[in-house]
Amino acid sequence: MTRSLPDQSLGPEWTILELLARGIIDDSEVQMVRDLLTTDTLKWGELLEQALRHKMFPMLAHQIMSASLRFDVPTNIYMHLESALEWNRWQIEVFRRETVRVVQALADRGIPFVVTKGMAFESTLYDSLGTRYMNDIDFMITPRDRDKVMTVMQELGFRPFFDWAKDARREEISSRLNPDHLPKLAREIDQPGIRLIDIDIANSLTWTKSPFDVPVEEALENPVEQPIPGMSGVSIPCFRPIYQFLFTVLHLFREAWLQKFVESGTDVGLMKFGDVIRLIDRNQNKLTDSELLRIMQTHGVTDAVAWVLRHMDETFHTHAVELLALEKHGNEKLLRSQMRSPGYVNAWSESMRGRLQSKSRGSVRPVAPAHRGS
Amino acid sequence: MDDITTQFEECLRRHLRSAKPNPINYDVELVQLGLDSMTAVAVLMDMEKTFGIRFPDDMLVEGTFRTAGRLKEAVQLLRERQAS
Repeated sequence: MTRSLPDQSLGPEWTILELLARGIIDDSEVQMVRDLLTTDTLKWGELLEQALRHKMFPMLAHQIMSASLRFDVPTNIYMHLESALEWNRWQIEVFRRETVRVVQALADRGIPFVVTKGMAFESTLYDSLGTRYMNDIDFMITPRDRDKVMTVMQELGFRPFFDWAKDARREEISSRLNPDHLPKLAREIDQPGIRLIDIDIANSLTWTKSPFDVPVEEALENPVEQPIPGMSGVSIPCFRPIYQFLFTVLHLFREAWLQKFVESGTDVGLMKFGDVIRLIDRNQNKLTDSELLRIMQTHGVTDAVAWVLRHMDETFHTHAVELLALEKHGNEKLLRSQMRSPGYVNAWSESMRGRLQSKSRGSVRPVAPAHRGS
Repeated sequence: MDDITTQFEECLRRHLRSAKPNPINYDVELVQLGLDSMTAVAVLMDMEKTFGIRFPDDMLVEGTFRTAGRLKEAVQLLRERQAS
């Protein structure tokens, strides 16, 4: 996908992260990142803080190392970044082994499922470089298999885990009221630097009672088997490209559009858009034929997909809306909206770029009274 | 069992903006009074704290708090269970 170089109005630190998030694809971008990283006015504190907020520490570290900038970066910062990258690579190794363990157990019971997000993308979109950060391992199942999967996970040593939340009871109630996921599960392990493995199992591509959804049973049909790097003869089932794209975009929509994620400080980050850009880049032929548009129209999710892609194009100077022929879809009212509760939509006037950079998103309130949404 | 109406309504008013200036209609859906996914959690937690109860998993469903009337019934039931 073609894209122009970003403007630098938000500072060199932010420009570096935008370039890394969307993926470095040519010499002009390599040179731009190098120039920005070696500029005298670069604020390392700001760069590191934003990289941390957007889960890009390992990616920033890899970029600095692969560009041989060791002696252009303050020594202590270089050493810390190097450690962060190595630790991320180690965590990915541990997560891969655990993923295979769960995959085999679910497959043995004949339960339909796929592995999603970080574990699915790490090798296919990020070349197994250890640059894609992940908090947990994600799976998708059907709602009818919730109980069966919970039993399997308990047999594997996992238990519902709310201790990670600031308020465990709040999280528990919220999880029960929104049955689009199983309660977050965790298992204690004894590995250097990693004490817990979290697993997040969804049973919807979006959220409970979402007006925008694709049936999960349909999305799980004909999964593709994806090899696991370093594990010969082992593979994991993942969505086929069209549904991988739809899930990734709709998941981003969920986290960006539902105000509860803004208020809890867990809404969309740069790398969520980075996943979408890479998915389009690597599956362009499969995403530009008529099947994708037909599926989106059948399930009424075209406006939600257009919402994400229009914000992405505005922010990253990509041309996804044009590429996927969605120019006639989406509308200004939806584009500037955010959902507060089912059926009620609040207006939202920020640019996505400003929102991504903001460190106090939770304090930004909707600008207009709620109106009844569609 | 004591009448919980005053405490119950105070609890609702702490979270539901539209419930504050008016008498609470026990038949109206709480969504119409400003309940959303965030405040639903806050209301249930406040009820638990105020009345010393704990909603069991099978009551953590939308039907429990669709209206003020349904929610009050649920709170009373849990208080009775606890007392017995």
